[in-house]
Amino acid sequence: MMKKLKSVILYECVTSFKYVWIFYAVVFAVVILISTVVGISTGGVELIGTNCLEVNSMVYVGILGVLGFKEDFKMLIQNGFTRKYIFIATFSLFAFISALLALVDTIAGQLLHRLLANGYDSLFGAAYGYGQPVIMNFVLLFLLYITICSVMYLGVLAVNRLGKRLSLVVGLALLLVLVLLVPVVFRYGFSESAREDVVSFLEQSAGFMPDGRISLINPVLAFILISGVFAAGSYLIIRRTELKV
Amino acid sequence: MEGIEIKNVSKSYGGVKALEDVSVNFGQDKIYGFLGRNGAGKTTLINILANRIFADQGSVTIDGDTAVENMAVHDKLYCMSEADLYDTGLRIKDIFKWTGRFYGGFHMDTAMEIADKFKLDVNKKFKALSKGYQSIFKLTVALALRVPYVVFDEPVLGLDANHRELFYELLLREYTEYPRTIIIATHLIEEVSGLIEEVVLIDNGRVILQETVEELTGGSYCVSGLASEVDEFCLGRKVIDTDELGALKQAYIMGTRPEIPKDSRLQISAVNLQKLFIKLTERGGK
Repeated sequence: MMKKLKSVILYECVTSFKYVWIFYAVVFAVVILISTVVGISTGGVELIGTNCLEVNSMVYVGILGVLGFKEDFKMLIQNGFTRKYIFIATFSLFAFISALLALVDTIAGQLLHRLLANGYDSLFGAAYGYGQPVIMNFVLLFLLYITICSVMYLGVLAVNRLGKRLSLVVGLALLLVLVLLVPVVFRYGFSESAREDVVSFLEQSAGFMPDGRISLINPVLAFILISGVFAAGSYLIIRRTELKV
Repeated sequence: MEGIEIKNVSKSYGGVKALEDVSVNFGQDKIYGFLGRNGAGKTTLINILANRIFADQGSVTIDGDTAVENMAVHDKLYCMSEADLYDTGLRIKDIFKWTGRFYGGFHMDTAMEIADKFKLDVNKKFKALSKGYQSIFKLTVALALRVPYVVFDEPVLGLDANHRELFYELLLREYTEYPRTIIIATHLIEEVSGLIEEVVLIDNGRVILQETVEELTGGSYCVSGLASEVDEFCLGRKVIDTDELGALKQAYIMGTRPEIPKDSRLQISAVNLQKLFIKLTERGGK
């Protein structure tokens, strides 16, 4: 059985590997193109600059989370794999691609920050500064990407399960709750001290301690918790997911 | 228990019953014709067998092991699907390679030889193939897989006559060299009637019979003659359908073929599988 699991994980990783490099080629080509156009039109390099290229990777892993179900579920169920194996293989793929993107983004972020004349801020650098260990840059990016994959994967599984119409209703309801209800309840339903506690809790979860220190273990644990919850939700749904053709 | 055992399986889609209390057994090393009209429930049952969808009720076992979410049956069963369930962006030879990694019983040499016979370009991506060649690719994979149970769901869809002949020839060759249970789900009865040993007939989500081809064709006959004489002959017999043309009538009867008295003007003939299929499933469609 381990051989089967290995083969399906290998399939997921190998068939997705090349698209990562296509993605980076496109991202860097666009950045170079825009920089060139700005450079030519302004006649100098002063206005050329970009930040937080990790946002592109976040979009990429979001798409990966969706396609992780849509394309691969069909192929793997055709080849006789159980939903448990498909789930493990899919999350292995998410881990593999997230690690790869996090590694490239960490290296690129550090290099660009040092090389570009106008300075470049990576997502991690902008949030926590450049005095932190580089390894934590990688770990946090990895966990951020895998969390996005988990959220999108759960979303697409839920849409598949509920059907388009019901998903639209649930999606709109969720949007209304998040955009209208939560801010209103937060503003008028909570006391001043409760609001401060919530904000403080969120800041600490992101690693910003009340005494001004940065504790990177907090966001690490927060991302592990969030991705774990979404992964568990995904597993509960995929266990009963049927092929729709 | 050896073989595939499907017991009291039911499946509904939004109140519409696709399968109703279906019980079928597929033994070992036989070629089965899983016959039924379009929408009869063939694909639904295959999808349940392949763990692609879940039955609302009932059980499916393969050699005694449940077929639901069980990797222990992975290397025993392969279901070729009428739907396109492959990674459409992969080249054919790469899908062969991955199938070989997924299944120990996949024979790359056989797959390449079959692809060559069909002139299937293995360097093309699945999505670049015509509908007919997509079917050829799918049946190539299934033919090259030497697992105990192989299911073909409408295998000749979109294939021209030459390719259909070649498929039946290769199927027989593979079966002769490496016997296994082959289940051919189709509504093209005439083409498979020469291949199959046992028939499972499904109609409106219910299995209406499971018999060997000999039992089925030997257990039915057609009587023709003047309508009044045919009606008289049919009294007390199990008539499945009749055709009338003017004063003449033909009745299709289930049962042992009787001897006709020498002075009778009635004529008795055998019913071929296709005719029998049409007659047995016609009422539901009318």
